Order: sequence, then structure tokens, then C-alpha cells
Amino acid sequence: MSFFGFDEKNLESEKRRFLEDAARGAQEENLAVYTWGEDSYDGLGDALQEGDDELNDETFGGAGEVGKDFDFSGTALPGDSRTKPSEPANAQSLPRYQVVEQPATRTVQSNQPSRTNHSLESVWDDKSPFSVLPRMNGADRTAEHAHQPAKASTFATAPSQHSNLHQSIGLSLGGNAHKGVRTLEEIEAEMLAAAAARQMQLHAQAQAEAQAQAQAQTQALPQSLSQAQLTQAQLSQAQMRAQPPRQGTPQHGLTPPPRMHPHSQSPRFHQQQQQHQIHILQLQQLQQQQQQQRLLELQEQRERQQQQQLRELQQQLRMEELERQRQLRLQQMQAGAASHLQSQAIHQRHGSLSPSLSDRNLRRGQSPAMMNPRAQMEAPFQQSMQYLPQDIQLQQRLLAEMAQAEFMNNMQAGVQSEREAREEREMQEVLRQEAMRKIMEAEKSEEKRRRKLAKIAQARYNDLMTQSDKDFITRIQVSQLVTQDPYADDFYAQVYSALLRSRLGVQPEDERVLKFGSAGGVGLGFGQKGPGRRQTAMQRMEAQVERIVQNARLREKEKTSLNSLQGALGKTSGRSYKAAPRQLLQVDSTSPSLSPAHAHISKADVTPPRDGAGATREAANIGRRALRTTGDGEVTVRKEPLTQREALMILERLYDLVLDIEQHKREEVPTEEEEAHTAWSEHLSYLTDQLWKGLQVSVILETSEPHPFVSLLTPIKGKRLLPRVARHLGSDQLRILLTLILACFTQLDVVKHAPILDSLHDTRERREVEDQTQTFVGSVVQTLLPLIAKTDMHMTRAYLGILTDRPDAVNVLRTGPGIALITLFLSRVAVLKQNMATATEASEIPPPEELAAWQEQLDHLFEIVGPHILTLFPSVRIGIVSGLGFANVPNADVLDQPVWQFLASLAVHANSEQQSLLVTALREVILELVSSVHKGWDIDPEERKTRLNNINLFLHALGLDASQITV
Amino acid sequence: MDSAASGIQEPFDLIRLSLSERVFVKLRGDRELTGVLHAYDGHMNLILSDVEETIMIVDQVEGSANGQNTVNIAKRKIDMLFVRGDGVILVSPPLRT
Repeated sequence: MSFFGFDEKNLESEKRRFLEDAARGAQEENLAVYTWGEDSYDGLGDALQEGDDELNDETFGGAGEVGKDFDFSGTALPGDSRTKPSEPANAQSLPRYQVVEQPATRTVQSNQPSRTNHSLESVWDDKSPFSVLPRMNGADRTAEHAHQPAKASTFATAPSQHSNLHQSIGLSLGGNAHKGVRTLEEIEAEMLAAAAARQMQLHAQAQAEAQAQAQAQTQALPQSLSQAQLTQAQLSQAQMRAQPPRQGTPQHGLTPPPRMHPHSQSPRFHQQQQQHQIHILQLQQLQQQQQQQRLLELQEQRERQQQQQLRELQQQLRMEELERQRQLRLQQMQAGAASHLQSQAIHQRHGSLSPSLSDRNLRRGQSPAMMNPRAQMEAPFQQSMQYLPQDIQLQQRLLAEMAQAEFMNNMQAGVQSEREAREEREMQEVLRQEAMRKIMEAEKSEEKRRRKLAKIAQARYNDLMTQSDKDFITRIQVSQLVTQDPYADDFYAQVYSALLRSRLGVQPEDERVLKFGSAGGVGLGFGQKGPGRRQTAMQRMEAQVERIVQNARLREKEKTSLNSLQGALGKTSGRSYKAAPRQLLQVDSTSPSLSPAHAHISKADVTPPRDGAGATREAANIGRRALRTTGDGEVTVRKEPLTQREALMILERLYDLVLDIEQHKREEVPTEEEEAHTAWSEHLSYLTDQLWKGLQVSVILETSEPHPFVSLLTPIKGKRLLPRVARHLGSDQLRILLTLILACFTQLDVVKHAPILDSLHDTRERREVEDQTQTFVGSVVQTLLPLIAKTDMHMTRAYLGILTDRPDAVNVLRTGPGIALITLFLSRVAVLKQNMATATEASEIPPPEELAAWQEQLDHLFEIVGPHILTLFPSVRIGIVSGLGFANVPNADVLDQPVWQFLASLAVHANSEQQSLLVTALREVILELVSSVHKGWDIDPEERKTRLNNINLFLHALGLDASQITV
Repeated sequence: MDSAASGIQEPFDLIRLSLSERVFVKLRGDRELTGVLHAYDGHMNLILSDVEETIMIVDQVEGSANGQNTVNIAKRKIDMLFVRGDGVILVSPPLRT
């Protein structure tokens, strides 16, 4: 334990030397050493008294009153501290008188050894880091002393004060120095000895006290003089002791020092705190012990006074003292590591060993000095550490902790057994390692943080902008974002986020739009997925924007009242950044409901629909006419078909309408506000009506070839429009739409251009048709799917009839969409038949004539399909066109799959005769495919699997399996 | 219906009709594009998909008279393309057969 600069050997030798010096000094200089109440007092003081005793009576007038006052040790203990000031004042009046009379040489001389003592002590103390506090206290003490006598004395002259001051300093310091070298162990030993001695002397004590009182008049004047001064010094010391904790370390009682704050977050700090608490507990125990010691010492001191009178006992005590010192040395050798304990003990003994203080401690229970052992401990640390770089501080703290741990070990070592101590030490070791680790971590993060801070601090343009500047810029930026219709202006982000959310299955929250009343708002894009810095940044931005807009609105209000400034001096700026930029082009929009870009697409473009007929009747009409296949001379106004550009224009208008409807639906008024709600729904129905009319579905079939609606379906965006339109249409309207599509099926571009697909040449045209076909199946057929899934048998039969009762029905079957639709109808009927088998209610069973009609329809289909079964397969058609074998056509199985599905669904409905017809027609194909699968021509397993699946699809419908076929 | 009645007010209305249709775009620097138009703006910036770009490279033969140039045509295909408006000379629907 040498990190405090302590060297125990030094300590020991120093102490020894010091003791010897003191003894020698006392012997050599007869006059000066005032060692009253010390165990090493050799009674020289007694010799001093011999002189002018007779004058005492003259000087003080009477001896009677003096008596008890000088027995400070007797009165100090039980008495109140408040009475004290008066006592020393009394006492001072005596000695000072004497000091004045007696030459100053005595005091000067008496100062010398005490000074050497002092210097010795300071040398001693300098080696300890704790020396900071006591030294400071010492310095303060002198200052206090300088005040104290001045206040106390009423008549003292300046030189007397001076000498008195010196004396008191010398005395107090000398006494302290003498005591300061004693260690805790020493005190303990003393205690033991004293306890033994006291037992013996208890009876003698009372007697001695009485004797002391009696002697006070005659014998003990110088003694009482020095005692009085001593008491005064002790008193002031006691005051000092009470003060330093408050003065020196005020932060402990009130607020933690500033540099403690960052550490309050670190885990290490808590540990430190814990250790501190343990430490405090132990220190309190120590303190209690010390208190007891002080008590005992007090008595001891009293004893020592008696020793002066009871010399025979003194002899014995000296023997004990010698013994004690020998023990002390031994103990010090053992407890060498507890160096700072020692130093601490020294500090505490500096003042607190005086009887008056121990009195106070006793009476208050806990003196400030006792309350703040930690303060005493820490104050020097922190004071010294504040000036050190943090790294060193950390190390020092670590060292201090280690020292504390060591100290605790030593403390416990004396009390606990060796084993316990070892366990304790191991635990301490673990704790220390843990602490070490945490310190390292803390250091690292601290380092990082500091580097960052340094970087920030060194940035060149720090604090260039004030908060209002920043707000100003944000306002400008936000003002660019605020729009009348935040949703529409942020449309794609909004829709995309809605799609994302629905795909992720997240509850669709309200639109991510900040609305500011009716004035406008800011679109916020779509929400971020995970939480994170961006998320919080976004939230902060939202809050900020809201605040800014709020402020802006307030300012706007103020601005209206700004007109009151009219006539005021100075220039008021009317325009600001908020003024809208000057528009380069100012185009008058004809209808405000439309955006200027397409306002031209007027309603006149849309052919006015035939009014009157209800939707269902319309559908029935179309169906009837389609079924009859020939118009019965009904007069219709024939028109030229829509040109491409007209169709596109109508489509643009329809898209606008759809968007309007979607927007209108988002702005749904709650049903509570009846009036507004009816207005809203009226407008909605108006818009949907416009949409329906715009689609031109109700235009009679013969109006043009192709039908206007078919013209609208021709561009790819027309096909894509249908699913969006369908959402806003009723099921009746959709049924009409389906009927129309079926009736005009051959007019559709995908049907007309289907032969283009039967080629292997990758032309742009083919790609275009392929795209269109895919879009048609994906959009139009998908839209109609749920509708078909709900039709009854009659309607299904009607639909199938519309599709197939035409001379070129085979062409329909040779298209992807056609095959898909017919397959849909067939499977729908299959489902209906199944339901019929399990149906319990008569209403669900279609009438027999209906079934017969269905069978009739099916027979018709067979008639159409029968001769052309093979050419239904795209692969076969491609094979014919390109001259390849159908099995060699690339990707044939995928192309043929819908056809196999169609054949399978056909086979389900077929009777045995028809089934055999199907099998005969397909026999060759199936055999070739199966053999190709088995022989494993150059086809990969994936392809083979699809091929087998295709065949099985059909064969399973017949109750067969591909594995049954042997090639 | 005639174009006056249809009330086409500004040229961009015609481009609008070609949205999500295949268009032909002529560019400065002897380049041509065909692609599906997805978006446009007032600067005639365009976003096209499935684009085929045709670049005419005119090689002037050294020492020969004017008109002796040979024209090489380079073609490339791009899935999605942003065309900056300042290079656009014309936008038209592709010629229909």
C-alpha cells in the first residue's frame, strides 16, 4: 500500500523520532512544553507553579470562586456546551492576566517545540492524500483562533492577544501532533488499559476530584491557565470540526457535484455507491467505536490529571504504555495496508479527540463530523480529482475503491476469523474484477462519446443558425408541402402504402395525411415499417409541421388585423415567401371539377344511353337477341365504331370518374349527419351513373361493329379499368356487362387476334397480343369470376348459349379467354349438379326441363367441339403452322393446360357415348404424350410432371389414370 | 366527331391519350424510341417501359463528297427508361397498320 506515498517504515521511524524529540524537547527545555493531560507529562508543570503562588490571591481577589471553574474536565462532560463560552471567558481572564505579567519569553519558547511538532506533523501528513483536508482545516483554525480571543476577551491588549494566539495554536497543534501519531490500535490498547486502570481507580477518582478542586486555588494555576487555553482551543476546534463538513463538502449534503452526474447513469456508479454505503456503515461502526474511545479517553484524561497527583499509579501506567507501544508496532506491521485508515484516524483525532467535541458528539448523537465520514473521505478526493483528466480520475477512483476494499478487509480481519476474511476478500476480488470490467466499458463508451462531442464542438459552423432561423426554413419547406388535397397529391404513395399494408395484413389505419381543417394538409407518404430512428424522426417532423402550421394560421389571423397598421409610418411588406409563385401558363379550365389537362373530354363525347329500360330487362333483351342470333328487324341507328382516339378519350374520362368516385367514397360523411349524408350518396350515385353511361354497355348491340364497349376494352388500359369500375357497379349492371362481353366475344381484339399467337415467331405484334390476352384473363375474366360463381343453372346455360350459338364458335374455343370462360361455365354447372345431389330443399333443385335444356346445350357444344378437338390444343395448332410435332413445341404443356382442363370439365358432363367420342379423338395424343413421358425423350422432369398432370386431369374425369395406360 | 368538337385544348392532351400505350419518341442526336408510356410532365420528361432504342450513327467517309455517308443503326432494349424532356423532338402513337 504505497500509492499514497506512504512508507510504513518511514511512518514508524518518523513517529518514533517524533516521540523521542518531544520527550527530549520536554526534558531540555524546562519551561515550554505544555503537555497537560498527556500521558508523557512529566510533571514539570508542577515545578513551575512554585513561584508566585501567594500573589494569586491578590491578583484575583478571592480564591473561593475560582475553584470549580478550573475543573474543566469534570464539568465539561455533563455540562451543556452552551455554557462553555462563558467558562473559557472566565478562564481566559485569568491566564491572560498572567501572561501579561509574565514575560513573553515563556510563550515564545513554548512555541518552538510545538512548531517543530507542527512541521513534523505536516511532513507526516504531506505524504497522505488526505492531508488536504486537515491542512485546510488547520489553516482555517488559525484564522478562527485569531477571531476567537478577540471576541472573547474584553480587556486584553494587543500583545497579549498575540501571544495568546500563539500559545493556543502551539498548544492545540502540539497536542494534536502528539496525539496524531497514535493509531486506532493504539487507542484501542489504551482503552483496554484505561478500562483496567479505571476499575482500580474509580474510588480514588472522586477523592482526586475533590483534591483537584482544593488544589486549584493554590497549586494548579498555571495548569489551569494552560488548561483554560487548551479548552478554548478545543472549543474552537470543536466548532471547526463541526463546520468543515459543511464548508468543505457542501455538495454531499445538498446536490451531487456536477461531475458526478454523468456517472449517475453508469452501472459502476451504483456499485460505487453500494460500496460507499457499506463503507459508511463500517465507518459508522468505527465512529461509534471511536466515540466510545473518546469517552474512555476523556476519562483517561481525567485519570491523567489524577496521575499527576497519584504518582504511584503513573508508574504503573507507564509500564503499560510501553507495552502498548510495543503492541502497536506489531499491529502496525500487520495492518500496514490500512494506511489511509490511519491517516483518516489521524485527521479525526486532530479535533475530535478533545473532550468538548466528544461531548458534543455524545449529546447530539451524531455530530456532523460523524455524519460525514464519507465526506471527509471523499472531499479531498474530489477536490483533487476535479483538476485531473478523466482517465486519471477513473484510475484513481478504481484505486480508491481497491483501497476501500482493502481497508474493509483489514477492518474485518481483526474482527472476523481468517476464513471469513478470505471469503470476503475473494468476494471483493470478484467485485473488483466486475468493477474493472464495467469501468473499462464505461471508459470506452465515454471515450467514444467524448470524441463525438469533440467533433461536434469543433464543427466550424456551430450555432450559426438560431432556433428561429431553423423554424423559418422549416416553415418555408413545409409551406411547399401543404396542398389543398393532400391525399390526391400524395396519391401514389398513399395507394401504395395502402396496398402494402393490406398485403402485410396490417390493420388499415387512416390515411397518412395531416389535415388542417378544410384548408389543406400535408401528405406523409407511407408509414415506415419497423421502429427506429427514422420513425421517431418522422414523428418529430409531424409534430413540428403541425406546430408550424398552427402558428402560421395564427399569424394569418393576425395579418387580417394588420390592416389597422394603415397610415403607420414605415414600410409594411405585403408579400412574403408564402406568396404563390407566378404562374407561367394560365389556362382557364372549363369545368372546375376536372383537372385542366383533360377538361376537354366533355360529356358530349359519351354517347347518350338509351333510357327507360331497366338493367335486367336490358340484359334479357341482349341475351334473347344473342340467342336468336338474328336481329328481328328492329330499327337501330347504326353508327361508326369508335375510333382509337375516341376510345382513348373516353377511357381517360372514365379513369377520372373512377378516381373521383374513389375520392368521394373516402370522404364518406357519417350517417349521423343525415342531410350531408344524403347529399353525399346522391352525388355518389350520380357519379356511378356517369360511369355506367360512360362505359356504353347499354348501347344496343347493332349500333356498331365492334360495339363501343368492346372498343373501350381494346386498349390495355381499358381492360385494366374494368376491375376498378366493377367495384362501383351493382351486380345487375355487372350481369349486363358480362352478357354484353359474351355477345360481342368475337369482336374482342383478343379473340380476333388470337391466331397471331399460333406462331413461334417472336414479333412485337405477337407479344402485344399475348400481353392483351394475359391482361384480359387477368382483369376482365377475373372480374367476372365471382359473378359466374353465383349464377344459377338457367343463366349459366344462357351464357354458354350466347358464347357457343354462333357459326364461328370454334374460333371462340380456340382462344385462351374463350376456353377459360366455357370451362368456368361447365364447372359452375358441375357444382350446381353436385349441390343438387345433396340438396334438401326443393327450391334448390332446378326443374327437370332445365336439366334437359342444359343437356341439349351440352350436346350442341359437343357437336361443335367434336370435329375440332385436336385443333383446340395450341401446341397442335402451332405444330401445324410451324411444321413441328405437337410434342416438340416448346412450352406446349403449359399452353395446353387450359384445354385439358376444359376437356376434363366437359368429360364430367358427358354421357358414355360422348366420353367414348372424346377418348377416341384424344387417344393418339394421350398415347404419344404418355410414351414420351415414359421414354423420357429430351424433356426435363419438371416438364414431364406437367405433362402427366395434364393427361391425368382429363383421365381422372373419366375415372382413369395415366399409369393404367401401357405403351 | 371532329377534333374541334372534342375540344382538345392543349397538345399535352394528346400525349395523355397515349398513356400506357406504345408510343414512338424521336430524340435529338439521331435517336428514336418506342415504348409504353407511363408518365410525362410539362417538360416532356417521359417514363417508358419495354423500350427499344434506335441510334443512327452517321459515318462520314474521309475524303469523299457529301452524301457519301454510311448510316449504321444500333439498337438496344431497356426495360424501364426515364427520358429527359429536353431531348424529345416528337411523341406520337405508333403507326397502325
